[in-house]
Amino acid sequence: MKKTMKPSFTWRNITESRLFFPLVALSLILLFDFIFIPGFFTIENREGNLHGSLIDIFRNGSTVMLLAIGMTLVIATGGVDLSVGATMAIAASVAGILMNPSALRNEVFFVTDPTYTFQPLGVVIAAALFVAILCGLWNGVLVAYMRIQPMVATLILMISGRGIAQLITNGLRVQITYRPYAYIGQGWIVLPFSLYIVAFVFLVTWLMTRKTAIGMFIESVGINFRSSFFSGIDEKRIKLLVYTFCGFCAGIAGLVASSNIKTSDANNIGLTTELDAILAVVIGGTSMAGGRFSLLASMVGALVMQAITQSMYAIGVPAFALQAIKAVVVILVILLYSEQVRGFVRRISAPKKEV
Amino acid sequence: MLRRVSSFFSKNRQFIPLMATALLALTAYGIGAYFFVGMRNPQVFFNLFRNSAHTLISGIGMTFVILTGGIDLSVSGVVALTTVASAVLLREGWNAWLVILLMLAMGMSLGAIMGIFIVKLKVQPFIATLAGMWFARGMCFFISDNAVQIDNYVFHILGKTKILIPGLTELAESQGNPAPFISIPVVAAFTLLLAAIFIAHYTRFGRNVYAIGGDEGKNEQSARLMGLPVDRTKLLVYTFNGFCSALAGLSYALFVESGHGLYAPGFELDVIASVVMGGTMLSGGAGYVFGTLFGVLILSVTQVLIQFIGSLSSWWTKIVIGVLTLIFIGVQTVLANRKSGRSGAQPAQALPEAHRKRLAFVAGAIALIAIAAFVSVSRFGGASSAATPESTQCIVKPFREEEAARLIKDGAVIVYNRTAGPLCVDQLYAIYPDGRVTGNDGVNQVERQVDPAQVGNLLTAISVDHQWFTNEIYSTYLNPCRQCFAHYISVSYNGQEKAVTGVDGTTAMPPGYAFALAEIRPLLPELTSEP
Repeated sequence: MKKTMKPSFTWRNITESRLFFPLVALSLILLFDFIFIPGFFTIENREGNLHGSLIDIFRNGSTVMLLAIGMTLVIATGGVDLSVGATMAIAASVAGILMNPSALRNEVFFVTDPTYTFQPLGVVIAAALFVAILCGLWNGVLVAYMRIQPMVATLILMISGRGIAQLITNGLRVQITYRPYAYIGQGWIVLPFSLYIVAFVFLVTWLMTRKTAIGMFIESVGINFRSSFFSGIDEKRIKLLVYTFCGFCAGIAGLVASSNIKTSDANNIGLTTELDAILAVVIGGTSMAGGRFSLLASMVGALVMQAITQSMYAIGVPAFALQAIKAVVVILVILLYSEQVRGFVRRISAPKKEV
Repeated sequence: MLRRVSSFFSKNRQFIPLMATALLALTAYGIGAYFFVGMRNPQVFFNLFRNSAHTLISGIGMTFVILTGGIDLSVSGVVALTTVASAVLLREGWNAWLVILLMLAMGMSLGAIMGIFIVKLKVQPFIATLAGMWFARGMCFFISDNAVQIDNYVFHILGKTKILIPGLTELAESQGNPAPFISIPVVAAFTLLLAAIFIAHYTRFGRNVYAIGGDEGKNEQSARLMGLPVDRTKLLVYTFNGFCSALAGLSYALFVESGHGLYAPGFELDVIASVVMGGTMLSGGAGYVFGTLFGVLILSVTQVLIQFIGSLSSWWTKIVIGVLTLIFIGVQTVLANRKSGRSGAQPAQALPEAHRKRLAFVAGAIALIAIAAFVSVSRFGGASSAATPESTQCIVKPFREEEAARLIKDGAVIVYNRTAGPLCVDQLYAIYPDGRVTGNDGVNQVERQVDPAQVGNLLTAISVDHQWFTNEIYSTYLNPCRQCFAHYISVSYNGQEKAVTGVDGTTAMPPGYAFALAEIRPLLPELTSEP
């Protein structure tokens, strides 16, 4: 972060910045859209609200952006959280069943009344987030106090989490019609409402990590947890904190996702989004080995993932086949990040600096 | 006596997870056989292998990958791609053996490509194989959107041949049971298992694999400094796993006789869980290929128990497997921490004490699982302890599409066919514009009169409010949900005809379809369905 703040905008400083590669990737995709998809950049004004493909990238990307915030912190401590997708499903199931408990009667049941809810909205959201935090806490305890490898520890919740979510919803898809809840994912105040949620969570996290010492603690735990322990940082508590926070973010993402499709679907909500979130962080340049992180770069990474998806939909690639293209793009991005390419960029930049 | 047991355990400490797994698998089966007469049928035991041959095959390859400290998430994608690609090639009339060879080559090359990314470009294994999975799954849908039936003589022979177990035929016949048998994929899986055990323990390559994994990459560094061919070994391991995935895909295709891109969802998790339950350390470097067999057995015994209990839904499998994985990882971590001396600060004479404690912990954990399993089976199983393999395996009848088309021709606006479910029904309803609703389940007929306006509202809602539901629902009877209904809705309104199939609960239903389903059901008359 510091490097970009320096006034010297030399070529080298720019290419070495964390934001450089994600932004290049994003602009390449947007350039592709600009050339091949007419009207991709048009933004309509419908009754004071802005609509358009560009806005959709932000709106549909909001779940991955939320996950990426939590995931960045986890990855910065040298861990990884594979269970965020399952946590999303659990949170959505809790929310869904509290608003429409008909699934417990083992029937596909459709409440068509948009004002009906079993519990008030505050209780619904609080309960869902509470359960999500519990999930995060569970991961944190396993990783920090039981000393299980992060990937393995979170794999357990990833495997059983969807089972738990189905247990909550009795294995059925719960339809949500309660309108105030639908506003979370579908409301607009000039911009989509979910974006404000993302912005709020981002801002809080940014203040927390950059204006207090927590950010530094997280980085130092990621670089070397032993030496940070010896220098007086309670690395266990830091790890517990980041996993819990990651669960919290996943809970919010679950609420947004379920309200967006008006269904809490234990099987499909958040399916493979953990991978999207991890890739967003990787594209954002945070090393999987832990250490330095940049929240903003992860946000851009999440937008890159969503921009790919959105542009492929726009050219008419079917949803399932999209995965193959995503894989190719991910490979390209990884190549872009490999030492060989970085060295190549540096070699180009070297003579320019001499001039 | 206790000391002797204790010394036996301490001498063979590395076998503890393996023994625990084997014990658990057999105990679980024993408990099941105690409660359910049906499970004493030897065929049920051999079905454990028949139903999980592909998991075992894939698990063998995954064991090697995990031993090197890597992971391969691409297996489910490669399995699905193999089923689709082979099904389509066979439909085009290719030679079956050529197709099999081609699939194995495809799996190996996919594995090799991922291996190159991991070894040469230093991409994290789990990111590279993740991209591999996406690529493979995506390619499935470039090849075919829908499920493709396999109708080939060679595949039919390979999939349907019954291999009788020598010595058991007479025994079973004397008890009045049909002779138990296994299938060719099972034989293939066990051949592969023997080969893999040989490779892992008696070849240079196998020792290299063990040398690379473990200790958070430090062992890999040491292996490199010792001059072992680390890169080549890793590349070979991923290629071998690609081969295993393709073989698993072929045996899956033989098992289900069709190919589709949505097959085997979450399969990689099952495989990884089996490997972990088989006693292989996820950090690599320690474990046995043989253990994976028991890991797979635990998985399939859990599934069978849940099927036999009947009142539990299939998602309990996930929870049980998750809990078991947790316990195994816990035991592993305790053992590993002890080995690496993280708790080595304690004085020497305290060690036997700590050791006994740990032993007690392991024994306690196993006892706890056994008790929990016993209690849950006896609690939930009491209601349907008469469950036999016949009654739990509902034979899903195909949708009565022709009958539906005839009803539509006779003036029905909506025809709704629902099959399977907990009671395994097969009901066909027709709704007419004048409010008449008829239903039959092949035996009984019912009729009911509703308000014609209700029918009109429903049709408007389906066609206008929800702009017709789309046709893109994939219904597969291989769905893990055993309690779900399979639905077929055909609507004829305003000159448009639409037909949709789907399964509730587990397949993704578009909201419009769910709405139609939920609105149609209250209109239907009660059919007294026989169990």
